[in-house]
Amino acid sequence: MTSPHSVPGPGHALSQPGGALSPPDGALSLPSDALSPPSGAHSLSGGAFFPLDPALGEPVEVIGGKAHGLVRLLRLGLPVPPGFVIGASACRRFLRDGRLPHGLDVAAGWLGAESVSVRSGAAVSMPGMMNTVLDVRGPITPAVREVFESWNTPRAVTYRELHGIPHDLGTAVIVQAMVHGDRDEQSGSGVAFSRDPGTGDPHPYGDVLFGRRGDAVVSGECNTLPLAALAEREPPVWSALVAALNLIEQHYRDACHVEFTYESARLWLLQLRPGGLTPRAAVRVAVDLADEGLIDRREAVRRISPSRLRAAATPRMVVTSPPLRKRHAANPPTRERAASAGVADPPVRNTLADTAGLVARGRGASPGVATGRVALTADAAVRMQGPVVLVRPETSPLDMHGLAAAVGVVTARGGLASHAAVVARSLRKPAVVGASGLDALAEGTEITIDGSSGEIAWGAQASIAAGDDPHIGRLLAWADAISGDDSPRPAEERLSAAQDRLLAAPG
Amino acid sequence: MNVVLHTLRCIGHADLSRIAATAGLPEAHVESELIDLAVDGLATRSMGAWGLTAAGKAADAKQTADELDTSGARAAVTSAYETFLVLNPELLDLCSLWQLRDDTIDPARVLDRFTDLNRRVQPVLAALPRLTRYGGRLDAALHRARAGAMEELTDSMTSYHVIWFQLHEDLLATLGIPRT
Repeated sequence: MTSPHSVPGPGHALSQPGGALSPPDGALSLPSDALSPPSGAHSLSGGAFFPLDPALGEPVEVIGGKAHGLVRLLRLGLPVPPGFVIGASACRRFLRDGRLPHGLDVAAGWLGAESVSVRSGAAVSMPGMMNTVLDVRGPITPAVREVFESWNTPRAVTYRELHGIPHDLGTAVIVQAMVHGDRDEQSGSGVAFSRDPGTGDPHPYGDVLFGRRGDAVVSGECNTLPLAALAEREPPVWSALVAALNLIEQHYRDACHVEFTYESARLWLLQLRPGGLTPRAAVRVAVDLADEGLIDRREAVRRISPSRLRAAATPRMVVTSPPLRKRHAANPPTRERAASAGVADPPVRNTLADTAGLVARGRGASPGVATGRVALTADAAVRMQGPVVLVRPETSPLDMHGLAAAVGVVTARGGLASHAAVVARSLRKPAVVGASGLDALAEGTEITIDGSSGEIAWGAQASIAAGDDPHIGRLLAWADAISGDDSPRPAEERLSAAQDRLLAAPG
Repeated sequence: MNVVLHTLRCIGHADLSRIAATAGLPEAHVESELIDLAVDGLATRSMGAWGLTAAGKAADAKQTADELDTSGARAAVTSAYETFLVLNPELLDLCSLWQLRDDTIDPARVLDRFTDLNRRVQPVLAALPRLTRYGGRLDAALHRARAGAMEELTDSMTSYHVIWFQLHEDLLATLGIPRT
């Protein structure tokens, strides 16, 4: 299956010597072979455009964090769709006088792609606050205008207000050849973490959707498969992805995650982000990275803030026992999710089934561990004897009495900013939202949920507090060694003392 | 329009004092209404909490549909709901940012954002006379928060978020839109 357009690979079209691409005025000068402009015009719009290229040296203030990450990927020789960046200065100008840079459509035409993606990417991370326009065919000017205008949506303004980000900063925009996760049967999209973001377990973790575009993964509108399903469905893509994650970790000396699409069995990376870990996972990763020699112990101690340590001290579920009740083997959750994603009979193994005791996983929305019997309605939660976990498609105010009666809540829909999540946090009750595979849960079945990691397990499971967590214990022992004080004190004080010492005498 | 019936529809199971406070009516009056509703099979009481029966839910759906038809407000409420759907993710973001705050979040800024949002939700409340009651309740929650009771933003049963959540349910119930 060949695509009708030719997307140049990494190390081909865009790996021209840097000097030729970056004239002193910083104006657009795309590589000449694959992206040849019709008339040899290289300089457009007074330095507003920059080709995505390993040699691109503009700082994050100019090209934004997302483009900066893509350049890092290109420097590592990793596959990124060809494209260019419209600098944040163009956005600032647009916000001032409503004028867009000249030559946008000409520049997009040079990419030679049948369609492009247009994404925001500010210098300061504002996740999910601005617009992305995918699959633009023809003129891109309206899409760039839409992304620029999304700088001032109320949500984005609120986010900046709360985080003290200046309102006149503006966003860079990345225009790239569109890669199609819905191209054919050997295409798909996903998000991949180098380590499990819920637990810190040192194995790739994430979500994948076969035959779908990346926006379907991020929106949560489709139920995804565990990333490991890719290993059996497209082994070469899986291998390339795992190798890329390893390379990125070695380079950054930290856990990371990427958005990816593969088109006709060819892998492309669309975004690189550091971290994304729960506090408990962040502690484990810092300790593991020190053990692996990627960072030293001082750096591990430096990386965990006292507030993160406090959050990491929330009790966590440890799935140690076999399930008290067997799942219905004829109807595993993964098959249901695959069918709803429009993929017929996937040759995949449910990675959850490989983890003893786990029934489903969503996003941890309110921390803590709770064990109870499943109640499928709020009325049942009130009526049933003993501790119950309320399991709902989503929650409404009509479920409030059930939430009040339950020890924890699980929803199939909704994200970390949903009514259910806000209410659960207000009641200090563990909550998991956006969990798929819940059809396997019959009313009355005993489960345990972990509102930090998002894990849902069969039966009653043990939980451990911070004092018993070996990774927190080791990190604090390292902190004591740095501060030279091993007297009994609260954990945050032990960490703060070490960090004060490191600040006073870095290195 | 039976206000007690509709209040129960929007807040779910609740005790007498919470129903009366939400409806803004004297408890004695509300209790009398609730007993009438129970006699008609529209409400039940168990373990101290009143709730609607399926028949009560259907009766409320009919009275809100009739209300829209006789007042001619259906178009205005539909438009108000569309406005609400734009503001709702913003409110939920704001609530979550506040609940998950770290040391970099300034409470005064958070209050400012709630106040700004409260200003922008006013046109939604103007779509139907009885929705203005939410305005008073939302204002009061903000006032309590500004006086230092910051749990009145997201973390109490009378919080700004709880009232907003009820407004959301009210709009859905009034327009007969099922939660999908």
